[in-house]
Amino acid sequence: MTEIKLKLKKEPEYPLEAEAISPDQFAGKSAIEIKKLIVYHGNEEKTLGDFFDVSGNGSEISDIKIIIDGNLSNVKRIGEKMTGGEIIINSDVGMHIGNNMSGGKILVNGNADDWAGAMLKGGELEIIGDAGHYVGAAYRGFWKGMQNGLIKVKGKIGDEALSWANGSKPAKRFPTLICGGAGSFLGVHSHGGTIIVEGDCNRCIGADQVRGTIVVKGKITRILPSFKKLGEVKEIELMNGDIIKGKFIEYSGDHSVEKNHSKIDKKTGKISNSSNGRLFVAA
Amino acid sequence: MVDKNIRTVTDVICPFCGTLCDDLEVDIDIREEKVVEVRNGCQIGTKKYFSSNPGEHRYNKPLIKENGSYKEVKWDEAIDKAADILVKAKRPLLYGFSSTECDAQGKGVELAELLGGILDNTASVCHGPSLLAIQDVGAPTSTLGEYKNRADLVIFWGSNPVHAHPRHLGRYSDLIRGYFRKDGASDRFLVVVDPRNTHTAQLADMHIQVNPNEDYELLNAIRATLRGVELDEEEISGVPKKKIIELVNTLKSCKFGVIFFGMGLTQTLSHHRNIDAAICLVRELNDHTKFLLTPMRGHYNVAGANQVFAWQTGYSYSIDFSKGYPRYNPGEFSSVDVLMRKEIDASLIVASDPASNFPAAAVRNMFKYPLISIEPHHTPTSVNADIILPPAIAGIECEGTAYRMDSVPLRLRKVKDPPGDCLTDKEIIERLIEAVKKKKGE
Amino acid sequence: MRINNLILITCRTINQGVALEGGKNTKENVRAAGICAFDKEDFKKLDCPVGTPVKVITNHGEVFVYSTISEEGPHPGIIFIPMGPWANQVVNPDSQSCGTPTYKGMKASVEAAPSGKVLDAVNLIKMLKEA
Repeated sequence: MTEIKLKLKKEPEYPLEAEAISPDQFAGKSAIEIKKLIVYHGNEEKTLGDFFDVSGNGSEISDIKIIIDGNLSNVKRIGEKMTGGEIIINSDVGMHIGNNMSGGKILVNGNADDWAGAMLKGGELEIIGDAGHYVGAAYRGFWKGMQNGLIKVKGKIGDEALSWANGSKPAKRFPTLICGGAGSFLGVHSHGGTIIVEGDCNRCIGADQVRGTIVVKGKITRILPSFKKLGEVKEIELMNGDIIKGKFIEYSGDHSVEKNHSKIDKKTGKISNSSNGRLFVAA
Repeated sequence: MVDKNIRTVTDVICPFCGTLCDDLEVDIDIREEKVVEVRNGCQIGTKKYFSSNPGEHRYNKPLIKENGSYKEVKWDEAIDKAADILVKAKRPLLYGFSSTECDAQGKGVELAELLGGILDNTASVCHGPSLLAIQDVGAPTSTLGEYKNRADLVIFWGSNPVHAHPRHLGRYSDLIRGYFRKDGASDRFLVVVDPRNTHTAQLADMHIQVNPNEDYELLNAIRATLRGVELDEEEISGVPKKKIIELVNTLKSCKFGVIFFGMGLTQTLSHHRNIDAAICLVRELNDHTKFLLTPMRGHYNVAGANQVFAWQTGYSYSIDFSKGYPRYNPGEFSSVDVLMRKEIDASLIVASDPASNFPAAAVRNMFKYPLISIEPHHTPTSVNADIILPPAIAGIECEGTAYRMDSVPLRLRKVKDPPGDCLTDKEIIERLIEAVKKKKGE
Repeated sequence: MRINNLILITCRTINQGVALEGGKNTKENVRAAGICAFDKEDFKKLDCPVGTPVKVITNHGEVFVYSTISEEGPHPGIIFIPMGPWANQVVNPDSQSCGTPTYKGMKASVEAAPSGKVLDAVNLIKMLKEA
């Protein structure tokens, strides 16, 4: 692994858009060339070197390990669209960390702002602190969000994580989120997302979920009226085949959604009320 | 006796709320260019016409703040100073645009792009969530005329038209005869969903008193019941299960239903997801009958601002031009959020009053930096501005296009000349664009 | 006397609409928008005459407004302040990242404040400039 070290030398006054910071952008570049990469500060174009001290040279994408120090809470878009390599951030980080990532690993030793891991296509994003709203979510107007990859948040996340998640068993895509606690609307409009909450979460969990699995090991403030209690289980099989052991109450949902599996049967006139979405709450 | 000193203008479009009534009549005293009578308008629209008359609350010359008090100046000096502020800013906010006509809004887009700033309109604090939901799940909608002629079930959800859209019931939604609703209100069933027994609810045939902030669960329960799911709980969001079932039967058995929704859904918790659920409910009701929905837009031309911004940038509000091209993300680029995060270093406020309408903490941050206000009247925003540029009031002193809540465009009339040195919003922004271009050396 | 566990709703009223068109910096506007309407039964707990200034407190701020009885009750547990500068001292500026602040549904407490000063819009907003 070749290490490239970045240290913030000037705190940005306005949000700094730094999609230039990724193994893909650094590959094959010397430190001097890396310093010349463009970042956006307010309505001005600046260079990475204006804000960071840079040491190390970039080799192959998958060999690159970027380590960043300094207060990055106002730095956005780090790791955008990366396909491999590693980024380690030793502070809080701004919005859109690791968005559209398809490979590699990002580790945030702090809190992340909104839209962490949005539109993730692969790879791994790990956040040691808390994260904001829209973790692993779809951007505005997109109806296919996170398609694969793993997001781990040790702390709490906000609302609408994994919105419009798009997983698929046949295509072996299992977008997964593991978090310590969550807000509301976890997995809203999820089509095959997997979410595991180690602690508590708020309301409207699994709203409009078509298929996918949500496991809550703590408490839920209130379960939606459109979820049907199926019974108690001793273990859960996730979409990707992993097993979680423990006593859980199984719910199917969201039954308010009109999709193939809840069509009205032409012969009997009854509503086929099966749903491939599942919500498990610790018993 | 026709009074030769009075000029009467008919078919005037009222520039107050999203109902955009098109049947006002305004009498102008031609000697003083003053409004003397307004017929057919509601209390608020009428007041707007009268308050456009020259008075102590109306600006008629450009003003620049110097040593704590305002000094009257010529247009060139005011425009030059304003352009100076805007060009120097690294993250300027251009906000408002909802109470002016479409050409001015288009100029606003041009200016924001030139400056590389943030462009936003009042939808950001109002029906922005409705637009977010429509972007996610679409919207089965129609025009007010269709509702007037066909709807036999009218639902107001989180909306109180008696107070906010005073003539809506009388012109389109309840107390009027329609082509297929020849008995007017007797031919219609009115439902109001609101935590309070509002004046609109007091007129309704059915009032559903939902708990504040729990509309999503109620919509979810209605959708589930519609799909034949048996609800487990006896009461959801403060509404008994029996009433929910009764409501679902009412929804299924009407001939043509419409939901008008307002801030009760957009400004409570879960914002756009409330609208999302309402849209999905309406969409699914079309398996049983005909059902549509329309947002009750607040300002008379916020729909127009959304239209114009969308034609020119692809996005309706909360647009960022800092990278040289338009990007959209409410929450990241919306006015209140960027002010709360202290990102803005100058603001140009057009046809709106954020000091009154934004949460106090956002206003506090807005006041820390230079503020330019294009505003006809004394408002909490303008009296704290560094530069005041007085416009002619669109729809009264200047012609233009406005879009109604159902996105129907109507042509605003000019009924009288503006007082003093007022220019139209469009001219003011054009002059700013020219001055900014010169300063940037283009 | 203090009432806790109320929910505050802010919204349009026709009087507030007329007042804002007539001049936001006028006394008419204070009487239209610088008010808090109570459910009839709830108000009795405050034990003061209608019109007495009250202090409305939420997690986001506090403000003095005139008290009135709601014509749109009964709505026990709910108070409402018309939209405007007074309401905006106490609303929740957080939009949960959707852009629109949560103007309705805040948890609130109310105290009778007979000697509290209800400011007019200009002076109320001036406090934000000086702060």
